[in-house]
Amino acid sequence: MKRTLSLEIFRYAAIFTFLAISLIPTIWMISMAFKPIAEWQASGADLTWWPKAPTLDNFRFIFGDSRSDFIAALERSAGRPILASLLAATFGTMIAMVAGTSAAYGLSRFGSGGNLPLALIQLRIFPPMAVMIPVMIMWAFLGLIDTWYGLALIYGIVTMPFSFWLMKTFFDDLPREIEDAALVEGCSRWRVFLKITLPMMRPALASSALFVFILNWSDYLIALLLTTRDWVTIPVYMASLSSSMTGQLYGAKAALGLIAAVPPVIMGIAIQKQLVRGLTFGALKE
Amino acid sequence: MTNDTAHLAADMPQETGAEQKRLGFWLTLPAQLLVLFIALFPILMQVYISLTDWSPLDGIPWYRAYELWIGLLNYADLANDPRFLSALWRTFIVMVFCVPVQFLLGLGLAILFVDDFRGKRVLYSTILVPMMVVPAVAGYMFFMLFQSGGPVNDILSLFAGRPVTIAWLADPDLALFAVIVSDIWQWTPLMFLILLAGMVSVPQDQQMAAVLLGASWPRRFFTIVLPRMKTIIIIAIAIRVIENFKVFDNFYIMTSGGPGVATETISIYIYKVTQQELIWGYVAAIALAILIILSVVSALAIKKMRNA
Repeated sequence: MKRTLSLEIFRYAAIFTFLAISLIPTIWMISMAFKPIAEWQASGADLTWWPKAPTLDNFRFIFGDSRSDFIAALERSAGRPILASLLAATFGTMIAMVAGTSAAYGLSRFGSGGNLPLALIQLRIFPPMAVMIPVMIMWAFLGLIDTWYGLALIYGIVTMPFSFWLMKTFFDDLPREIEDAALVEGCSRWRVFLKITLPMMRPALASSALFVFILNWSDYLIALLLTTRDWVTIPVYMASLSSSMTGQLYGAKAALGLIAAVPPVIMGIAIQKQLVRGLTFGALKE
Repeated sequence: MTNDTAHLAADMPQETGAEQKRLGFWLTLPAQLLVLFIALFPILMQVYISLTDWSPLDGIPWYRAYELWIGLLNYADLANDPRFLSALWRTFIVMVFCVPVQFLLGLGLAILFVDDFRGKRVLYSTILVPMMVVPAVAGYMFFMLFQSGGPVNDILSLFAGRPVTIAWLADPDLALFAVIVSDIWQWTPLMFLILLAGMVSVPQDQQMAAVLLGASWPRRFFTIVLPRMKTIIIIAIAIRVIENFKVFDNFYIMTSGGPGVATETISIYIYKVTQQELIWGYVAAIALAILIILSVVSALAIKKMRNA
């Protein structure tokens, strides 16, 4: 494209216009999270875009230290939902990574796995809602309802397509010469996989794991169906932060939303190169 | 033995053939078992439950649901369920509004970002922020924005010059508009990301040749760049169509499908029947019908994409 001044001005103007609109919701949530109660409800002419008296009260409130002596009915700390989200997402990521990586290696090197690639794409295409009835029955039967490990198990299965396809494209790109050299030296295939291939793949493993973690962390529907009380995750807990007595707890919800949004945003920006591969199932190798 | 290495190389495949097969089997086994665990058994169970009138409140365990056998009656009901059909239609409408807008915005942004300029990295990362916000949180953000005393009306008041108090989420048409806006906000960055990756991978030499021949920019774009991006455009649109069909989180948090059934998409409908009416036999029939529709559509789509 020819570089002219007007073109550059148009470029920046267009990008900044888009960003200005696109950032409003995020900025509003950040500002909400730091507003005192008096400013939550302000609207119309009183609507404040930026907190006039910034406070950490909302964060104190969701962690159970409600010095604002406000609402005893909802006094349940957000600590446990955060723990539930962390446990379910982390262990779900581990299940997806272990099963997905080994299957990807099996397929990439030995062509085993049969219909697995297609089955995994299908798994992603189907709405989770469409298999939830049998899953709820199975989970109840196995005593996995309202446990973090029950949630981790289903997260592992649901996100495995991504770890599988990401790792498969990475394995396909890895030259075989190094592995072959070790084989000639007398290493068994297993040893080569565990001691040579996997350590070489460390960066790929890390970015795939982050990607899968973001997906698990973002879930709302599955946790809504499979947890009831003890192990509700952040999004489920957030939705419950309102009552007929108190109405919507805007500030508290915004504070919790901010906490929930931070890890994926940081991780996502760190691995943006892999995002395309992951989301397109490696169909487009960047 | 004159040539040791040649001998080794010739021997290796035979020696390791069985070993490779065994290793491949063990490596893929966990994934196979997990897929089986979530696919075969649940779907058989789904078929079984869908032929009964079973509900978890009946007091009989699911494996004795045959006591409530009603055959294909659930499916007959389904064909005459206006709420199901309207939810299906609404899901389609949402898709028809969301995906093209996301595509055009994403394509426009990708064009702006394809060559280097100052501040590209920072602006690029900032554009990606919405797609990384947890969808449930995004739903809550838009719930706040669209309150009658909220920021959206506040901005509109500035332009109108008088206080605007539209109850966005209480009006059926406006509520549908609001949830569509939230979907566009969240997933335009994904379109942008995929399309930009595709655009960058279009080889430069042909474009250079066209520049030398004096082809104008739009001409180069439509005759060289866009046709080369065919596959990635199909993939990007397919991803959004699939994900849009499943949409639940932000819609449900913003409106719970309301007012009335104005924003009730297929996932929200199934969820509500599961939770509120608790006729799981019927839900299983709905879910199975959707699985069948999607299986056929996706099998055709994957076949098409492989040929493309």
